[in-house]
Amino acid sequence: MLEVREIKLVRDERKILNTLTATFESGRVYAILGNNGVGKSTLSYVLMGLESHRDYEGKVIFDGEEIDLLSVSERARKGITLGWQEPVRFEGLTVKEYLTLGGKLRLSKEELNETLSIVGLNNEYLDRLVDESLSGGERKRVELASIILVNPKVTILDEPDSGIDIMSMEMIERVLERLRDKGSIVIIITHREEIARMADEAYLLCGGRILASGEPEEIVNFYRKLCDNCQHINEPITEGGRVDD
Amino acid sequence: MINSNFEREFTAIAKEYEKSGGNVSDFLRKDIVSIIVSGNKVIGRNTVDGVHVKAKELDNGVEIWLEIDDGTVIENPIHLCTGYLKPEGTQEVLIHNHLGDHTKAKFISHCVFPSGVNFTHSMVADTDVGKYSEMLYEDTHMHSKDGGVTVKATYNTIVREGGSFQNLFYLTKTRVGKLFVKMSVDLQKNASAHIESKVYEREDDYLEIDEQLFLNGEGSSGIAKTTVFATDRSKAKIINKAYGNAAYSKGHIECNEIIKGDSVEVGTVPELYVRNEKAELTHEASIGRVNVKQMETLMSKGLTEEEATDMIVRGMLR
Repeated sequence: MLEVREIKLVRDERKILNTLTATFESGRVYAILGNNGVGKSTLSYVLMGLESHRDYEGKVIFDGEEIDLLSVSERARKGITLGWQEPVRFEGLTVKEYLTLGGKLRLSKEELNETLSIVGLNNEYLDRLVDESLSGGERKRVELASIILVNPKVTILDEPDSGIDIMSMEMIERVLERLRDKGSIVIIITHREEIARMADEAYLLCGGRILASGEPEEIVNFYRKLCDNCQHINEPITEGGRVDD
Repeated sequence: MINSNFEREFTAIAKEYEKSGGNVSDFLRKDIVSIIVSGNKVIGRNTVDGVHVKAKELDNGVEIWLEIDDGTVIENPIHLCTGYLKPEGTQEVLIHNHLGDHTKAKFISHCVFPSGVNFTHSMVADTDVGKYSEMLYEDTHMHSKDGGVTVKATYNTIVREGGSFQNLFYLTKTRVGKLFVKMSVDLQKNASAHIESKVYEREDDYLEIDEQLFLNGEGSSGIAKTTVFATDRSKAKIINKAYGNAAYSKGHIECNEIIKGDSVEVGTVPELYVRNEKAELTHEASIGRVNVKQMETLMSKGLTEEEATDMIVRGMLR
């Protein structure tokens, strides 16, 4: 189980995350839904423990252990990983080297091929370079494949559909299904209703805090009603009125 | 073919050559142009139709002339291997390459100095790439572990109308010692060039690179690029220059120096000179630690900082 307790992160006197509290269970997929700028990606960086986002207040607790002082590598070794919104490119590295982490992961040909097929790529990609020669969509698929192959206990997917055409929603569903089957906690960061609907549970984020949680359909409806064309981003309101600090 | 008087020497050089990624069996093939130099001796040589190789022993080195007839396309790469097996001494290598018009050739050169403690290798390669010809020159160096090798490598090249030239220099698998690389390319009408150096410095290695593009012909284009990974107490000074002397010429220079540790000392100087209003020159330069997002991407999958750095740098220096 992963718990975040009263996480607070301030930048330029602005509360990016504001006493955010949530719990995530193994084998379930969670959508963190919200408009741009409400703190979704920031939450993913806090969970992953990126150097630039370690100055938060509150606690991140994984399987009963407080992991706030752990670095990215240390959290990754505990089984937490992050699928980046815009995956970075690597000069000179092949897809195979990237997926096997330079040979550190001992993976069979079958494992590699099967994982590539989940993300809609074939084994010819193994010799391609993870550089500008891959399109944004191809690079994103490689990133999703790499996430599956590290067999994570906690998977944070930051906008898994960015750079991927709308026809590829089935591919994202396949990725989520695989991760769910393996018992991973999956946290999807998204502003897309279609993606949120793939989750077992959804959280609506606004102003750095959870505004509502529940069934994805319910939260999507809430989001559509209150957040589409929002004129007061990061000043959360509910149907009943403004949420006080 | 291998001179029978030097078989033992060939075996020793071949061992180092294979370590640097070469395939020794290529030196024994009759359909491959090859030249093997040890000290001041040419210990092996082969050529094919359309390629003429001459060599002369010098007091402390060799002088080589390689000429390719007009219209000759060399299917297999031309292999050059220069070795020096003693710990001390000096080796001078002078190379004159002349590619006729409409030719195509790839050169694979390996320089292996595995025992150098107080050894200096000076090499000057003068190359003339004929009209509409294509040449690739890939030079890989393997030096000794203790940093006692000094290399001064100078490449002067003229690329004639419509020709293309690539010169790639790699010293990434061993200590550098002291390295001075100078590449200069004169590009004529519609000629193109890509010159690039990749070096991994360790301990107190020292490096100076000076790459120059002279875009002298209308429509000529060139890229001069340097990538250095400097660690420990190493020093590097990189100068990339481009001269846009002709209309519609385009040049780009780029230097990326990645540093690790607080005791390295690196610098880069990009210099662009335009003497024609229709010329276009650009440059990029960066000095700093390994890209943080690349690092965090790999670390978020379980690699340590060291492992992530190693993997990123390995890719960049290929």
